[in-house]
Amino acid sequence: MSIAFNGFYAVKNVDFTLHEGALHAVIGPNGAGKTTLFNLLTKFLQPTEGQIFHRGVEVTALKPAAIARQGVVRSFQISAVFQALTIRENIELALLRRSGLQWRLLGNARRDKALVERTEQVLEQFGFTREADIAAAELSYGRKRVLELATTVATDPSVLLLDEPMAGLGREDIDRVAELIQTTAKGRTILLVEHNMQVVSRLAERITVMARGQILAEGPYSEVSSRPDVIAAYTGGTH
Amino acid sequence: MTTIFGIPMALLYAQLLLGIINGAFYATLSLGLAVIFGMMGIANFAHGALYMMGAVGAWFMLNTLGIGYWPALILCPLVVGAFGMLLERFVLRRVSHIDHLYGMLLTFGIAFIVQGIFRFWFGSAGLPYAIPSLLTGGVNLGFMFLPYYRAWVIVASLGVCFLTWFAIEKTRLGAYLRAATENSKLVQAFGINVPVMIMLVYGGGAALAAFAGVLAAPILQVNPTMGAEVLIVIFAVVVIGGLGSIKGAIIAGFLAGIAEGLTKAFYPEASTTVVFLLMAFVLVVMPTGLFGTKTQAAATSVSLPALAHESAFMRWALFGAMAIGLAIAPLFIYPAFLMKAMTYALFACAFNLMAGYGKLVSFGHAMFLGTAGYVTAYAAKTWGLSPELAILAGTASAAVLGLVAGWLCTRSSGVYFAMISLALAQMIYFLALQLPQTGGEDGIQSVPRGALFGFIDLSNPTTLYLFVLAVFLGGFLFLSCLIRSPFGQILKAIREHEPRAQSLGYSTDRYKLATFVISAALSGLAGSTKVIVTQIASLTDVHWSMSGEVILMTFLGGVGTLYGPVLGSFVVVAMQNYLSALGAWVTVIQGAVFVICILTFRRGIVGELITFVSARQREKDRRGIAMPAGSKVVTGT
Ligand SMILES: Nc1ncnc2c1ncn2[C@@H]1O[C@H](COP(=O)(O)OP(=O)(O)OP(=O)(O)O)[C@@H](O)[C@H]1O
Ligand SMILES: [Mg+2]
Repeated sequence: MSIAFNGFYAVKNVDFTLHEGALHAVIGPNGAGKTTLFNLLTKFLQPTEGQIFHRGVEVTALKPAAIARQGVVRSFQISAVFQALTIRENIELALLRRSGLQWRLLGNARRDKALVERTEQVLEQFGFTREADIAAAELSYGRKRVLELATTVATDPSVLLLDEPMAGLGREDIDRVAELIQTTAKGRTILLVEHNMQVVSRLAERITVMARGQILAEGPYSEVSSRPDVIAAYTGGTH
Repeated sequence: MTTIFGIPMALLYAQLLLGIINGAFYATLSLGLAVIFGMMGIANFAHGALYMMGAVGAWFMLNTLGIGYWPALILCPLVVGAFGMLLERFVLRRVSHIDHLYGMLLTFGIAFIVQGIFRFWFGSAGLPYAIPSLLTGGVNLGFMFLPYYRAWVIVASLGVCFLTWFAIEKTRLGAYLRAATENSKLVQAFGINVPVMIMLVYGGGAALAAFAGVLAAPILQVNPTMGAEVLIVIFAVVVIGGLGSIKGAIIAGFLAGIAEGLTKAFYPEASTTVVFLLMAFVLVVMPTGLFGTKTQAAATSVSLPALAHESAFMRWALFGAMAIGLAIAPLFIYPAFLMKAMTYALFACAFNLMAGYGKLVSFGHAMFLGTAGYVTAYAAKTWGLSPELAILAGTASAAVLGLVAGWLCTRSSGVYFAMISLALAQMIYFLALQLPQTGGEDGIQSVPRGALFGFIDLSNPTTLYLFVLAVFLGGFLFLSCLIRSPFGQILKAIREHEPRAQSLGYSTDRYKLATFVISAALSGLAGSTKVIVTQIASLTDVHWSMSGEVILMTFLGGVGTLYGPVLGSFVVVAMQNYLSALGAWVTVIQGAVFVICILTFRRGIVGELITFVSARQREKDRRGIAMPAGSKVVTGT
């Protein structure tokens, strides 16, 4: 598929397959079109040309929410949490839909036992139990990213698209988040955009290198990362 | 005599000419609006007032200072432009760093103030202004008579439009302007003084409006309310052309004028609504207008005031206090005042659901209040329905209107949303003015109160009061449950970060539409109840100033808070009641209160209070955490 903004192709003729169960990374210099690719796959952008299939069914015409309901859930490059809501509420929000409560106009979600239990589980799994009732805005940047990951995982997606989950994190946080990604990867498909090569080499089985809106190379990490054209694109592109 | 579709050609040409002239005004005005919007991101509600200043200013210069038309054509725009620059520098700039909505609200308040002051000075009667002697008379073109002045209006407008377009699209200054709209920080880094540029842009837009005003003075009615009427048409024009598009504004301006003129020839009753119909049509086909490309970024910069901790007990205690207070209030205060305030309070709460929790600030909410009022009045009087059924009919009609309007409006956000809602409301206003069932200027009077469920007689003052109290408390309770429900939580999430809500699988458009319908229905309930109380359904309830009042009430009390709109309504209704002796000054005072509120306590009375209290709560928590054992953050439910 391709997408053009006023004639400029941010993604051009990209033919990309994400295999079920894979942990796949997309790398490339700034402005390569990685986020745009994510936006296309999750339908936040409409491709100018081309089609998207999910499990053999065409989804090109669907809206972002519909894509998410199919189990394809993304995170955002710039941390996206509901700042004014508490951490508990952030997680509840991710769970409401699967509990079938999303159109309840009256009553409180906290009366739903299963939802409350599941919320507690997620809180604990991501280490938020102690801070559950403070506003998300009060978290440090790193913890916000973890919260975003937590809400993304809470929706129990089959495909996760993570846009630079490590950006802006400190060393310890990086290790913890990498671990979290590894654990959530079980039984799921993950597509990861990441600049931190150590993380990519540790997590990803397969990588795709993008540059200037096109795919430069694709294959197992060890193979692709040593290719001279890939290194050139990286060093030439990032200046 | 030649005719076309049964219309004499001469009449057709005359209306077409009139249309083109109106189009010239529309184009000049919407041009200024488009330039201001492009640069500052705000829909300038003061534009009509600036246009009026131009026209009334020309009259003033002639009659008091003896300055004629030609000097006035230069002087008025200069003076009004300078006034615009001052407004930008000392008022609008104070909110330029936060959500553009506040800038818009400020211009709204300013429009009220200016219009009120001018009404005080010049009265509301028309001020006659003669055509300059150079341009009296006209020429017979064979098929029609063309007055010279009208020809001049068209030529002058086209000239000004072209010059503005040229300056912005083809000169270096224009290039800087356009660059600054894209990225003002970057342009600033090039050593260009962006704040001064913005000031000049607003001044320029104001001058354009005043220029149109002077042009209009000899052929249109000069009076202090002339701006308010044209403003809403201009909004529709700008939406048709595409927000921020200069070319679009000019073309759509002439288009709207011509459409209006032709409709006047063929079907005069629809001439005032045709522009709004055109707008609705264009929006359905192309949501960003004819030439608009700019999609609105929804940036939330002011979060909802919320307590760090609040308990269920506290909530019920507050509600109980309000219920008891209102139940015994008639012993001390005039019940008619209380009932009026309660219906407005319900209206404001309904509006707040959208504005506060949905972040969709509608500038046309009166359409729901008024429509429901008319339906209730008609049902009770003509069909003889009992009050509960009449109210139900009114509420249902508001909900249906909400569904249609919501479908059109929620496809857009921010400024678009505000303008479209206003324009739709204006369409409803014209319908109410012209439909035979609504009684035109008189409205529907002496609506019977009847008996609730056939046996509770509402003509008894105490019963009526209790009924209104029950409706208000019921509506309030419903809303306060709604915002705590899963639906309400999702609404807050959408407000905070819409793409994230989508990526969690929520179809945000549907939630917004549902919010719109609920808000419309509750506004309708308020309007219906109001009609049963006052026994009259009239144009004031569908007028745009009513939409303005509900915004004032909500923001004054505290948008996004539960009790804010209630408090705000009581304050505003009290102000109107007790200050009514001041006449035109009430508008000025209201506008001033509004401007002060936005500038100094924009969270509103209740909002500021909550923020203060919760800051202290947090402070306490922090000290609590610092202490060794035992203390723990209280769980807020
Ligand atoms: N909405 C848009 N309009 C115009 N151009 C865009 C838009 N979105 C992205 N682009 C352009 O497309 C190109 C790719 O952007 P994208 O954000 O996908 O890069 P990226 O690979 O995610 O980079 P980074 O590593 O910095 O996140 C950039 O040149 C960007 O300027
Ligand atoms: Mg990116």
